[in-house]
Amino acid sequence: MSTIMSAIKKLAGILWSLMGIGIVPLVIMQAMKEIAAKPSEENWIFWSIVIVVLMPIISFSLITFGVFALKGEYDVIQ
Amino acid sequence: MARNNAYQTEEVTSTRRVIAASSVGTLIEWYDFYIFGSLAKIISEQFFPKDNPTAALLATLATFAAGFVVRPFGALFFGRLGDLIGRKYTFLVTLVIMGGSTFAIGLVPGYKTIGFLAPAIVFLLRLLQGLALGGEYGGAATYVAEHSPVGQRGFWTSFIQTTATFGLFLSLGVILIVRQTLGVETFSDWGWRVPFILSALLVGVSIYIRMKMSESPMFAKMKKEGKTSTNPLAESFKQKDNLKMVLIALLGATAGQGVVWYTGQFYALSFLQNTCNIDFVQSNLIISIALLFGTPFFVLFGWLSDKIGRKYIMMAGMLIAVLAYGPLYNSMYDNANLKNKIELVEKTTVETKEAVKGTDNITTTVTKKTFTDGTTYKETKKLTVPLDEVKKAGLAAAGKLKPEIKKEETLSNYLYWKMIGFVFIQVIFVTMVYGPIAAFLVEIFPTRIRYTSMSLPYHIGNGVFGGLVPLIATRLVEASKEPGYSNPLTNMINGVTGHIGTPSGQVDPLAGLMYPILIASVSFVIGMLYISNKTNNMDVE
Repeated sequence: MSTIMSAIKKLAGILWSLMGIGIVPLVIMQAMKEIAAKPSEENWIFWSIVIVVLMPIISFSLITFGVFALKGEYDVIQ
Repeated sequence: MARNNAYQTEEVTSTRRVIAASSVGTLIEWYDFYIFGSLAKIISEQFFPKDNPTAALLATLATFAAGFVVRPFGALFFGRLGDLIGRKYTFLVTLVIMGGSTFAIGLVPGYKTIGFLAPAIVFLLRLLQGLALGGEYGGAATYVAEHSPVGQRGFWTSFIQTTATFGLFLSLGVILIVRQTLGVETFSDWGWRVPFILSALLVGVSIYIRMKMSESPMFAKMKKEGKTSTNPLAESFKQKDNLKMVLIALLGATAGQGVVWYTGQFYALSFLQNTCNIDFVQSNLIISIALLFGTPFFVLFGWLSDKIGRKYIMMAGMLIAVLAYGPLYNSMYDNANLKNKIELVEKTTVETKEAVKGTDNITTTVTKKTFTDGTTYKETKKLTVPLDEVKKAGLAAAGKLKPEIKKEETLSNYLYWKMIGFVFIQVIFVTMVYGPIAAFLVEIFPTRIRYTSMSLPYHIGNGVFGGLVPLIATRLVEASKEPGYSNPLTNMINGVTGHIGTPSGQVDPLAGLMYPILIASVSFVIGMLYISNKTNNMDVE
């Protein structure tokens, strides 16, 4: 059972890392598309907050977490 | 036996004193933080005039920066200090900074008196408030947990969890009392300063109480033995064993907890006011009553987490929230949707008034409707047309001659209580995820770096992931008005519940839920897979 769980945790680690990497181009492309369609101050502020604050936190934490999971760091949780 | 009982009674009394002293200070910090938000409209008029773009930008930054960016920095700065010099003195400092900056906001002259300096000073003071809040929570939770008997940490720390809600109540209560006492006009003129200035008194009392408190026994023992950390930041975030726990705390717990909290407590209010068009007073009452009934559940779930473990309660809260948000928000929307109601046409009244104000002609049309279920509806259309024909033609050509429309719906008593029920259910989710979280965070980090390590994931989870819920959700609702819009989440929820979808070009009431549902789902999966349910046997040392 614990071997299966350990394998699931490691495999899921790949998913978290991929999500962390994939989110960057997705968000940037969406921001460029929306700002190009409507270059209002509101749009600029909204996307600046998402790109400068939210995206780096999500991306960095998911990639690092995924790598740890893949290496088996979470196999035994204290 | 009798001596043993006496010892236990003394221990409980001492713990209660610690809880009371810590909670009062944290509650006051939340009060200080919320009055700025509750008085945002007046503050904006006094300090951030819309016709000055820089001031308007500062207003936006003051709202977001203090809530999102600065809070985690406060967590790092004061967390480090708390692990170096002690919990007691650090959260005394945060209290002084918070109280001082709140008091100072109440004294800053308006934009009309000192110009651009006014919004600049208020902006800086708001940043200080954010910094102080970032340092306060971790300190209070750590301090209480380190005083709590083993096996009761969930119960005792849950009182700290109630302070955010009580702080909101206190701020709304003080504002309402001052407004009623002074009158709306005086309040808008200078009376709004009173709740800020009053903070000095509240903080003074709290400082007095906190000064009398002793240092956390665990930290005091560690300090005496010379085992405190010399560099808590490096130890927390550079050492792999701690960093991986910080990440698990953020992704598996606080991110999901933050979005569930902000959806139930803040987005629900925005949804009632902006999507359901419920009248300002009634919508605030709905939230307040639901919160009041829901608040004891923080303690209940905190206590329960000591018995069955923190993980399962928090995860259950996230999962139920993810599954229930769609049907709940559909029901709230239906409850207020005028299309589902039968109008008593004979009671409908339309009044039109015209007035000249300065260089404009203002036409105000007020339509009042009554429905068979007791709901009433008031729509105020205000059309401002320049008297100058050239200006008028210019605005008409630019498509800017549109009336301002204000919609206010007042629900019948039955529907009002039904709505309170819908919000109350969401508050229960909040209490499930938030009640045990302080104990959970405290228990996964060692004493020497606890303040630093637990504060950062808490404030990123709540300040960033949670704090962005109203902004992102409102944005998603707005986007749903665009032609060709399709939301897979809404389609799925409508498919499962048999609810009729929203016609194209109209607002999709469920669009805003995409963000909290997505974050809470990821957090739930990570939490279930990677978080341990061990609690009571865990040694806080």
